[in-house]
Amino acid sequence: MIGISNLKKKYNGVTVVNIPELIIKRGETIGLVGNNGAGKTTLFRMMLDLIRPDSGEVLSDEKNVAESEAWKDYTASYLDEGFLIDYLTPEEYFHFIGGLHNKSKAQVDSELPAFSEFFNGEILKKGKYIRDLSKGNQTKVGVAACLIQDPQILMLDEPFANIDPSTQIRLKNMVKDISREKHITTIISSHDLNHVTEVCERILLMEKGKIIKDIATNSNTLQELEQYFSVLS
Amino acid sequence: MTITFLIHQSKAFWRSKNTGKSVIMRVVMAILILYILLNVLVVAFFLDRILKKTHPGQDILYSFNSYILYYFLMDLLLRFQMQELPTLSVRPYLHLRIKKNQLINYLSLTSLWTTFNLTPILLSLPLLIKVVLPEHGLAQFWSLLISIVGLTLSNHFFSQWIKRKVNLNAIWMLIFFGTLILSLSLDFYFKLFSISAVSGGLFNTVVANPLYCLIFLLLALLVYIVNYRYLRINLYLEELHTADTTHKSSTEIPYLNRFGKAGDLVANELKLILRNKRPRSVITMSLLFMFYGLIFYTNPSFSGYSGIVFCGMFMTGIFIINYGQFMFSWQSAHFDGILVSKVSAIDFFRSKFLLFTFFSSLCFILTIPYVYFGWKVLIVHFIMLIWNLGVNTLLVLYFANKNYRRIDLSKGATFNWEGVGASQWILSIPLLLAPFIIYYPLNLLGYPEAGLAFIALIGLVFMISREFWLNKLVKGFQEKRYLIAEGFRNK
Repeated sequence: MIGISNLKKKYNGVTVVNIPELIIKRGETIGLVGNNGAGKTTLFRMMLDLIRPDSGEVLSDEKNVAESEAWKDYTASYLDEGFLIDYLTPEEYFHFIGGLHNKSKAQVDSELPAFSEFFNGEILKKGKYIRDLSKGNQTKVGVAACLIQDPQILMLDEPFANIDPSTQIRLKNMVKDISREKHITTIISSHDLNHVTEVCERILLMEKGKIIKDIATNSNTLQELEQYFSVLS
Repeated sequence: MTITFLIHQSKAFWRSKNTGKSVIMRVVMAILILYILLNVLVVAFFLDRILKKTHPGQDILYSFNSYILYYFLMDLLLRFQMQELPTLSVRPYLHLRIKKNQLINYLSLTSLWTTFNLTPILLSLPLLIKVVLPEHGLAQFWSLLISIVGLTLSNHFFSQWIKRKVNLNAIWMLIFFGTLILSLSLDFYFKLFSISAVSGGLFNTVVANPLYCLIFLLLALLVYIVNYRYLRINLYLEELHTADTTHKSSTEIPYLNRFGKAGDLVANELKLILRNKRPRSVITMSLLFMFYGLIFYTNPSFSGYSGIVFCGMFMTGIFIINYGQFMFSWQSAHFDGILVSKVSAIDFFRSKFLLFTFFSSLCFILTIPYVYFGWKVLIVHFIMLIWNLGVNTLLVLYFANKNYRRIDLSKGATFNWEGVGASQWILSIPLLLAPFIIYYPLNLLGYPEAGLAFIALIGLVFMISREFWLNKLVKGFQEKRYLIAEGFRNK
């Protein structure tokens, strides 16, 4: 589904991302872990064609993301608040996003109740613009907007960071469900090793721009990761 | 502590990503201010002679005194419009071991550094030295000077206080302007009382009893305390960052969905304009521009077409010029979102054309009443509408591809240089000159009508060939989008 070859990005002479090769198969659930500055967000941005790589390419469905825009049809992503149109109400934003994927307002409205547990009554019909929501609630809007697009690829950058424990658990279940039922390729970065090992089948560990571990999740993975991070410190 | 704050603020200025641009802007502003101050000095130096000419046979000092209150009324009005509130963002300091009054004193003291506080003293000092000192004496000189300084300071803190009040609740603006207009109209229109007589009497008393000047210092102190207490009570995050709590409803703009995705994008952009402070003030300014024609058309010396060409271009194209010059920066806060979403670049550009067409046509309709000044005005306006839609839209969007500056939508537009860069200056040259380069040669040859027809023709040609230019623009956009997105990510 996604293929990366020779991907490199430097800022001021410091290599932030350097990935000779990475292949992500359809339906895989990938967890991206690594300390701050490991290059996770930069990698995401290059996969989404927001930053031009210094060399190499990202192929989505065999097509280079920098040249073809076809990936936008089946890729949904939420990296930060910069992805939200903050002067719209959440409803307006969902309608807009749905409209881009040829869903009518009524269709979007009929899908929103499925999120009611995830939203916990804090998003819909609150009479607030997105900019007036808390960061955690903005994350909820971003994640829900992704799912409305019925994507085949889902990318989330630290979705657990700002949301409350119950919503974290709900989000975990949602991601697990959709990747199982709809066979979606999911890439999630997180600092919470528990969550990542629980949700993801495959863990990529990044350090200084390189992928230094590529593990299929098993019962020892959490220990292995905890060991890596504690040794570092 | 105040010094630490000053250091922090200078660091914030010098380390900001836009430092180079801000420095240039400051220099330009400084030159402008110096020029204004120079003018003030010239007026101040000849003030006694001016007063002698305008009020012959009257004591110069009395004439001067009678204008003091008028001056400070106008001063208040100008301050309200133009003076900025001190900008130290207090947020990172509130939770630290810093006393609130240190913060407030810093905010109050640094705000004093403004030209508004210098002009009254500059304006009055030469006259005080030339007239008061020799004729009345040292005590009178000081008492008048102290009164003026006191009034300046009162005005200063009063305008800060009222501006903060207005930020929280717009009703204060109505009260403020209402009182001002009421007192001025009572003076000039109804002639119930005369501010000039009050002013003259008041300051003559000060001259007679120099110690009375302390009243004005007390007034300044009082206003300072009011402002201080107000800040002290309101120095909380939620009140400084007013998220107004009224219910926001989702609105639909039904007609637009006929235009497909581009229409949806326009609907979003209309919401952007209506729901954010800075674009909203751009619209207000554009609407004020609809009166631009009144300045020119009522003036009989503007009988030719060129004045109408100029006015027509501005009035029908003001939105394209004012809003378009910051194109894409308006969406800087969610530009990443646009790039990854299923919005194709061509729809994105189509939506801009649609938006321009909508607003320019609206402006044209609003200027129809100028037909009062003759049919030719209306025809020329229409020609300039075609020109704006054909040429200026393309021009503005061409420069939009070269604009990488982020804009904060929640700040006002007056004296806001955020997002202003070289591209805006360069853009203005072809924008202003192009129609005249076409029109003037033909006008000089004696065919003004042919010049107009030529403008219309070129506008039409560009409108018809729009698809071609659109593809060029999209191509340019695809190349520059990384740079644009990166620039917009820099807060």
